Amino acid sequence: MLIDDIVLEKASKNFASFVALRAVDLCVQRGQFTLLAGANGAGKSTLLRLAAGVSRPNSGRVLIAGEDPQRNSKARAAIGLLSHHTLLYDDLSAEENLSFFAQLYGLADATQRVEGALQEVGLLEHRRRRLRGFSRGMRQRLALARATLHQPAVLLLDEPFTGLDQPACAALSQRLLQVKERGQTCMMVTHRVGEAAALADRLVVLRRGRICHDQQWQGSSQELVDTCAPFLGAIH
Amino acid sequence: MNFWQRTLAILHKDLMAEWRTKERLSPMAFFSLLVLLVFNFSFELGGAALHEIGPGVLWSSFVFASLLGLSRSFADERENHSLDALLMAPGDRSAIYLGKMLGNLIFLLAVELICLPFFTLFFNLSPGWFLLPLLGVFFLGSACLSAAGTLFAAMSSNMRLRELLLPLLMLPMILPALISCVEATGLVLDHEWGESLYPHLKMLAVYAIVFIALSLMLFEYAVEE
Repeated sequence: MLIDDIVLEKASKNFASFVALRAVDLCVQRGQFTLLAGANGAGKSTLLRLAAGVSRPNSGRVLIAGEDPQRNSKARAAIGLLSHHTLLYDDLSAEENLSFFAQLYGLADATQRVEGALQEVGLLEHRRRRLRGFSRGMRQRLALARATLHQPAVLLLDEPFTGLDQPACAALSQRLLQVKERGQTCMMVTHRVGEAAALADRLVVLRRGRICHDQQWQGSSQELVDTCAPFLGAIH
Repeated sequence: MNFWQRTLAILHKDLMAEWRTKERLSPMAFFSLLVLLVFNFSFELGGAALHEIGPGVLWSSFVFASLLGLSRSFADERENHSLDALLMAPGDRSAIYLGKMLGNLIFLLAVELICLPFFTLFFNLSPGWFLLPLLGVFFLGSACLSAAGTLFAAMSSNMRLRELLLPLLMLPMILPALISCVEATGLVLDHEWGESLYPHLKMLAVYAIVFIALSLMLFEYAVEE
């Protein structure tokens, strides 16, 4: 039986008079890697914030693994968010940042998990360094470690490639491929659709707060760019 | 992880970051001392003037110092949008408020303890046991300022004019507590800490408890965009 990990039912979100999302219906199945594309202001990040439980819809509802993340804290524990902002603290070291989040998530084997996560993203030797001295690529690797530290069933990615150079993008894609192979449900917002071709199983395009295109995806990077081009105009 | 453990984790994180940067405590203490120093040179603060304007000067310096600290209390969360990560963590979100509020209380108390010797010096007070009830007034007054201030700091943290909005929102709301703080401090300096002091302390305690309870309920909505 297919289980829907992320469900949006007629979800709408307004910011004063601006309507960011208009009654969006979307179901993402367990283990699926969904690429969410759209022009600036299409409502991609708003949709992701609703799914993360950080923001609440004005109407409709959002369910993660069958539960409302606003009301059910267990549903929130099932979500990891990687954004172009690191969601980390610059004045704490890499290890202190991860330990803090391990505490918040009540992870029993926090020390081992933190060490393992740092090892996985190649930052173990920089564990005692403060984030302020980290490069953009190192920060993003640590942000990925934070987002996956509690082994969430659902991983939400908001422009994770922003500000990364080509080798760092390739390394991040590799890490995300491993996440996908572990069977985690992923939803990624990106303008750099070419980078996501190897990851995506489904393409959803938003325009002015509505889903205007939705298809299962299997194809090359160039095919993905070509498919998205009519919806997005000039894209990377 | 229970509510208190989450609260303490957030408090510990804030204290650790402040220990490294001194971004809040230094300007708060410096500002308070500067206000006391300026008033010391502006007025002859010994004798009768002490009882007339001393408590007002003292609490003015604490209130404005607290505004400096409060405006920075969500700066760390804003810098890399880490408030989103806190909101996504499992458990009651009001633990974020309580952790932040306790951090603000500790910073304000630290500033008050730094200023107290200078206040006694500038105002020609001889140190004595009478200062102990003053510490009680400081604690309750700081709890009121932190309880209200943390909620308003959270509300204004996502706004463009947050530096302007925080005092505009906070100052009218803390006025009842501030009047009691000034009155209670005046009574302590007059060595009157019996019947007349008690209603002010009661008022401060009730204000702090009511504001903390309200803020715990409202915080989740206050931090929403």
